Amino acid sequence: MTSWLRRYDLTPANTAVLIFLWLFFIVFMLYPLGYVFTNAFFTAEGFSLIFMKLMFSSPNYTIILANSVNLGLAVTLFTTLLSLPLALLLVRYNFRGKGLLNGLILIPMVLPPFVGAIGMRQLLARFGSVNLLLLELGVINQPIDWLGGGNFWGVVILEVLHLYPIMYLNLAAALANVDPSLEEAARNMGASSFKLLRTVTFPLMLPGYFAGAIIVFIWAFTDLGTPLIFEYREVVAVQIFSMVTDLHQNPMGYAFVVAVIALTLFFFYLSKRILGGGRYEMLGRGHVTSAARPASASITVMAYAVVLGISALALIPHLGVFLTSVTGRWFLSVLPSEYTTKFYKDVFSHDLALLSIKNSLLLSSLSTIIDVVLGVTIAYLLARKRVPGRNVLDALAMLPLALPGLVLAFGYVAAFSATPLDARVNPVPLLVIAYAVRRLPYMVRAAYAGFQQTSVALEEAAINLGASPIKTLYQITMPLIFANLIAGAVLSFSFAMLEVSDSLILASKEQYYPITKAIYALLGRIADGPYIASAMGMLGLLLLAGSLFIAGRFFGRRMGELFRA
Amino acid sequence: MTVSVKFDSVTKILGQARAVDNLTLDIGGGELFFLLGPSGCGKTTALRMVAGFYTPDEGRILFNGQDQSHVPPHKRNTGMVFQNYALWPHMDVQSNVAYGLKMRRVSEADKKKRVRQALEIVHMQAYAERMPNQLSGGQQQRIALARALVIEPDVVLLDEPLSNLDAKLRVEMRTHIKDIHREIGRTMIYVTHDQAEALSMADRIAVMRRGRLVQAGTPHELYTRPESAFVAEFIGGTNLLRGTLEEVGELLTVKTQAGIVRGKTGVNGMARGEPVFCSVRPESLRLRPAAESSATPPSGATNELIAEVQSIMYLGDNELYSLRLADSAIVRAVEHNPITRKAEVGDRLALEFDAQAVVVLPQEELSD
Repeated sequence: MTSWLRRYDLTPANTAVLIFLWLFFIVFMLYPLGYVFTNAFFTAEGFSLIFMKLMFSSPNYTIILANSVNLGLAVTLFTTLLSLPLALLLVRYNFRGKGLLNGLILIPMVLPPFVGAIGMRQLLARFGSVNLLLLELGVINQPIDWLGGGNFWGVVILEVLHLYPIMYLNLAAALANVDPSLEEAARNMGASSFKLLRTVTFPLMLPGYFAGAIIVFIWAFTDLGTPLIFEYREVVAVQIFSMVTDLHQNPMGYAFVVAVIALTLFFFYLSKRILGGGRYEMLGRGHVTSAARPASASITVMAYAVVLGISALALIPHLGVFLTSVTGRWFLSVLPSEYTTKFYKDVFSHDLALLSIKNSLLLSSLSTIIDVVLGVTIAYLLARKRVPGRNVLDALAMLPLALPGLVLAFGYVAAFSATPLDARVNPVPLLVIAYAVRRLPYMVRAAYAGFQQTSVALEEAAINLGASPIKTLYQITMPLIFANLIAGAVLSFSFAMLEVSDSLILASKEQYYPITKAIYALLGRIADGPYIASAMGMLGLLLLAGSLFIAGRFFGRRMGELFRA
Repeated sequence: MTVSVKFDSVTKILGQARAVDNLTLDIGGGELFFLLGPSGCGKTTALRMVAGFYTPDEGRILFNGQDQSHVPPHKRNTGMVFQNYALWPHMDVQSNVAYGLKMRRVSEADKKKRVRQALEIVHMQAYAERMPNQLSGGQQQRIALARALVIEPDVVLLDEPLSNLDAKLRVEMRTHIKDIHREIGRTMIYVTHDQAEALSMADRIAVMRRGRLVQAGTPHELYTRPESAFVAEFIGGTNLLRGTLEEVGELLTVKTQAGIVRGKTGVNGMARGEPVFCSVRPESLRLRPAAESSATPPSGATNELIAEVQSIMYLGDNELYSLRLADSAIVRAVEHNPITRKAEVGDRLALEFDAQAVVVLPQEELSD
């Protein structure tokens, strides 16, 4: 063995596993992305920038790009405005019921925004509940066009209400990380409360803020479900979705996907520059354990008012969905005039609804199994073994965090067409793999945290007493990291159940529709379609709420880490 | 039958560093053998190679003459006590202790009996059904010991087993472990950075520094006949007086700035004019008022230096003196059972010490 090889733990088994992992990532991540790039830049005549030029010069396309960028910026701005006061109040003050409020803030995450869109549409329509209520109260004489302006603001509102918890988690973590002694020093130098925030606290929070802002921006920029339901088609995500069907005639789809990738990479590069610059490195922390201080009565009231107010706003779409799902008769009235539970029964008898639930259960279970196996293996190699290309493996496993589902799904359809995996023939394999790849980072992180918390000496003690490495893994390591694996698996499973863009793009035939695509399809049908869709949405909401609750019990305070880049 | 362990020119490279550098050691069957040295000296790496967690990059590890270098750790039959105990938190005490027996497919009845015996040896019978997190540090330590002993290992490996205990318990456990060793008579290799632990317990000690073996011997040999200033300083603490070697003979004569010092040495090949250290233990120094000293000039077998008292620390059974020599070097002296105080700060005293108590050693870099 040469000396550089000796630095690694390359047993035949390790090597085989590594080769398998590399092949997996190459085939299901790098190849589809490469394929998209190739088609965006190469025509029959060779390399060409014609599609790029077209995208940036044709007014049809530039307006689409501009809409998406504006959408992303607006959502980022409003989530910031909403989350900053929340973070300041909840991180800096202690008061009764703080834990409860903290939980309340996270609730909006449990509803995929495109399901919320159904409820929102119901409430904000021309003759929806809000207008009717205001008319009844005599506040207005004419119905207000809430969703006017091409429905842009409708999409913004829904995405803001869905995404502000993510922004909040990042801001709260950033704020909690600011060394209290740095602030005390500024106070000591005579800074007022406001000056202190502006000159010390905010600058120190900036890296954490950018981490959250970028996730929110990319999410809004690439969200497919919400604009689709609001029929706001002039955005990149919807365009890509409709171009999937005629990939071979219109290569502009590739160009748009490349634009999304480029933008995503640019933002992540930016965040690494800001986060990795080290300029904000905290030096020597003071001995102050917590920066939180008891809140005065007025601050407590304010905190409750702000949190309850925002939560009430955020729950409006949920309320809309719920009302729709139990509507027996609802016509030109603020609230339904008759209620029924019929549609919940229909979910389990309606052909498409029932089929889609079965499909989703199968697809999500398979993808979760893949996630557990791959995630544990990767985390084990990263945490316990010295393997060549460790950093690249780590980066590849985390890449899906930065990779919009839209991009991956588009790449799959394109790259694997006319192969045995062709999504238009049978989308099941690619759906399973897409779900698995998208949620792999959660599983790797969960398992890696488990390995890190478990001292190597516990494994060595078993080996020393005669347990083989495999036995050690099963009898010592696995039981010890079990909680982490369950938490990771629960999250992977429930997110897969409610995955939107992969499902919409990849599931080509009705017999393979997963829940989300079935909801979308049902919404388009008149008669009872929207009601059954709403009932399905409510069930999905309960599933996601339940799994986040379980995962939260396992992860505790570190839950927020899962939603940071 | 007891098992001897041999390190045969063993080298282990970790990262860029030679963590263990050409180590050769013979550890006799049934010996309580210590690997002693400051942190980073390679002692734990050496121990882990015996357990099989590391494979030597060069050289071999032999048990009773059989090469073990490539035997995987779970097939070596060593019993290791880890520094942080490494008790599995998801198993109760008896499952922890029984684990090695389960791996060896020992029958259920036999297993029960041996677990009970092992717990008796460490006085923990009453705790069989506790979970590790319900035990104190000292109790966890005993369970870790029982777990290692119950498999009747060829070699017991102890990696700083007492370092996480409080001072009083540590001293108690020294006696306990030594008793257990006498009782079971197995080869034990014990890693520590605490020289008092090594001196009080070991049959033999190997002092390591920067991956290399510095000196091996019985505690008495290391204390009285150190072969380097590092060992003299590390084991027990000493005063090192800088000087130049003047004469080599039955006794060596060293010229220091504070005066002439005579002593013996265990090191061969030191030449006249060489810079040396004279190592004198604090307890070898006798203090007398300086006035008396001028009356009787020092004979060849006794050294005498004049010093001024810098500070005095009263410890009850001892009194520690810090004294300044003529060249302003500081030496430490110990007065045992101090009934009346011999001097006050600022007094000038004569330090008297036998030439037999002085070890002349080559000068070397001491800070690690």
